[in-house]
Amino acid sequence: MSKLLRSISFLFVAASLLLAACGTTSGSAPAASGNSDTTLPSGSVTLTGQGSSFQNPAQQQWISDYESVDPSVTISYNPTGSGAGKKSMVDNTNDFAGSDAVLTDQEMAAGQDLQLYPIMAGATVITYNLPELSSSDPALILDGQTLVDIYNAKVTMWNDPEITKLNPDIADKLPANQISVVHRADGSGTTEIFTNALTSFSSDWTSGAGSTVEWPVDKAGNGFGGNGNQGVTAKVQNTPDSLGYVEYAYAVQNKLPFAKMVNKDGKTVDPTIDSVKAAMSSGKFTPQLTATIVNEPGADSWPIAGYTYIILHTSSMTDCVKAQKLVEYVHWIVTDPTAIKDATDLDYAPLPDNVQQQVVEKLGEVTCNGQPVMK
Amino acid sequence: MSRATRHGDVLWSLLVGGMAILVLLVVLVIGWMLWTQSADARAKIGVSFFLPMADASWNPAKDVYQAWPFIYGTLITSVVAIILAVPISLGISVFLAELCPERLRLPFNWMIEMLAAIPSVVYGLWGIFVFLPQVVVPLGDFLASLSGLPSFAGTLFTGPISLDGTSRLAAGLVLTIMIIPTITAISRDVLLAIPDSQREASMGLGATRWETIWQVLLPYGLSGILGAIILGLGRALGETMAVTMVMGNSNEGTGSLLKPGYTMASLLALQFKEAVSQLHTDAMIELGLTLFVITLILNLFARFLVWQVARRTPQEVRT
Repeated sequence: MSKLLRSISFLFVAASLLLAACGTTSGSAPAASGNSDTTLPSGSVTLTGQGSSFQNPAQQQWISDYESVDPSVTISYNPTGSGAGKKSMVDNTNDFAGSDAVLTDQEMAAGQDLQLYPIMAGATVITYNLPELSSSDPALILDGQTLVDIYNAKVTMWNDPEITKLNPDIADKLPANQISVVHRADGSGTTEIFTNALTSFSSDWTSGAGSTVEWPVDKAGNGFGGNGNQGVTAKVQNTPDSLGYVEYAYAVQNKLPFAKMVNKDGKTVDPTIDSVKAAMSSGKFTPQLTATIVNEPGADSWPIAGYTYIILHTSSMTDCVKAQKLVEYVHWIVTDPTAIKDATDLDYAPLPDNVQQQVVEKLGEVTCNGQPVMK
Repeated sequence: MSRATRHGDVLWSLLVGGMAILVLLVVLVIGWMLWTQSADARAKIGVSFFLPMADASWNPAKDVYQAWPFIYGTLITSVVAIILAVPISLGISVFLAELCPERLRLPFNWMIEMLAAIPSVVYGLWGIFVFLPQVVVPLGDFLASLSGLPSFAGTLFTGPISLDGTSRLAAGLVLTIMIIPTITAISRDVLLAIPDSQREASMGLGATRWETIWQVLLPYGLSGILGAIILGLGRALGETMAVTMVMGNSNEGTGSLLKPGYTMASLLALQFKEAVSQLHTDAMIELGLTLFVITLILNLFARFLVWQVARRTPQEVRT
C-alpha cells in the first residue's frame, strides 16, 4: 500500500517537474527578463496584428519608423478588416488587432480580458458632384437633419428648401434634379462613423448604425453602393448631381470637393484635423475606453468623426517580452512626436492630450503573469 | 511482360480514379461546409430568407436578413445575359464553323479566345468608362420611353436610368459580352466535330446551306451546344467583380432593369470581410449555399436536357 502511494507520489512529482520544465522552455522566462533592458538581437521579437484597413496606412508607416526605434521588434499588420481583427483577438490567434468598431458584449465576454485603446480619429466627409456650380462658388453646406433626410429619400431634389435655405449664396444654382445618393457597399468603419452620426442627428434615422446597414434611399431606387472609398468616389465623379460620403483622408489626398457641415452648436465647420480634434476634446469614455464622437458639442467640432482602436489582451499574455514590446509599441504610437506626425501627415487626427493621458493610464494596467508590463 | 503492364494499368487507373474522386470530394466538402455553417442562420431566419418580397430588408445593423433582392438580381442579370448571348454566340459559331473563309477563321478564333481571357475587372472598368455612358444610358433612356407596355414589361423598364448607366441592365449586358466567348468557342468546336457525311447527305438531298445548318447541324450538336450554354450561365451566375462595378450594389425595391441592384456574388464579396455579428456571417454563408444550390439545380436541369435530347436523337443520325 505504502509502496503504491510512494510510486504514485513519485509519478506526481515527476509529472509536475516535467510540466514546469515545459513551461519554462515553451513560454519565455517571466518577469525577470521581461523588464530588463538587455538588448535583444534585432528582429528577435515578432508582433503580428490584423484588422481595420482604415488605420492600415498609418500602421505601415509606424512599422517602418519603429524599426529604428527598437530594432529587436518586427511588426506586421495585415488589413483584413475590423471584423476579422476583432475575431482574431477573441480567438486569440493574434498579438494585437486594429478596429474601427467597438467590441460587443458577447465579444468582450468571449475574449475575457480584451481592452480597446483609441489611437487616433478619422472623419467622414460628404463629397458631391454639382456641375452647375463653378469653382469660384462657395462649398455646399449641409446639416445633420438634411443628411438624414437625403439618405432616407425624404429630400430627393437638389433644390429642396431644406438644402437651399442652408445655402443662400448658391440657392439659385442648385438644380431641380434628383440627388443620386452614394454609399459604401462593402462593410467599413467609414460607414460605421457615418451611420453613428445619422443616428445621433435625428430620430428619423431608423436603419441603425454599423459597418453595413440598409439604406432607405436604395429602396427608393436612387441609392448606389460603391466598393471602397475609390468606388464611391468614382460613382460620384461619373454621376452629375450626386453626393456620397468618403473618409476625410481619402478626400484630402484626392482633392475631392467636400461639403461643410452645421454642427451641434449651429456653427458651420470645415472638416480639418483641428475640427476633428475639437470633437475629441471632451475626452469622455466608457470604462472600455470607447466613445462615439459624432454630433459633439463645441463651436469647432466636426460632427462626423470616430476613433480607431487597437485591441490587446490585458492579462492573459504569457510571453512577457512580447507583452512588453507590444505595450511599448502602442505607447509609442499614441505619445511619440514621430508617430503623431506620421498620423497627421496621413490626415488622421491625433489624440488630444487629455485622451492621450487616459490611454497611457490604461496601458499601465496591462499585466503579464501577474506583473505590470510597463515600468 | 504482360503482367507488368497490367500492374501499371491498375496503378494508373487508381491514380486517375483518385483524382476524379477528389473533384467529387471537393464539391461535397464545400456543400457540407456551407450546410453546417449556415445551420444557425437557417434556424433563426427561416423561410423569410428566400421569400420574394419587394420590401425585403437586409440590414446587418439590425440583424435582419432577407435575401430576395440578391437572388432576384443574380437571376435577372443571368437571364438577360443568356437571352442575348445565346443567339449572338450561335450566330458567331455557325459563321466560324460553316461559312467563314479559311483565312479569316484564325484571326476570328483568336479574337474570341482573347475576349474570354480578359480579366473581369477590366470588363468592369471598361463598362464604367465606355460601355455604360455610350451604350447603356441611351438604351436605358429608350427603354424607359416605351410607354403602354403590358404590366410586366412595364415594371421591368421603369425609368429613369441613372445618369451614369449603373443598373441591372448594365450588369446583364456586360455579362452578355463576358459569356459570348465561352458559348461561342464551345459551340464552334461542337459544330466542327460534326462529320462531313452529315453535311454531304443533307446537301445531297437538295437542302440549302441554311436548311442544312438549321435542320441538320444544330439538332445534331444540340447536346453539346446546351452544355456550352450551361457553362456560360454558370459564369454569369458567379461573376462578381465586373457586376459589382456596374450594377450599383443597391437593395432596390421595384426590380426594374433600369434601376441599380445587387447580386448574391457581389454581396458576398463586399460584405464578408467586415461582417461583424455572427448571424451576419452565417446569413452570408446561407446566401453562399443558395448560390451553390441554384447552380447545382441548373446543372442538373441541363444534364437532364442533354439526356433528353440525346435520347430523342435517332441513332442513325448520330453515327
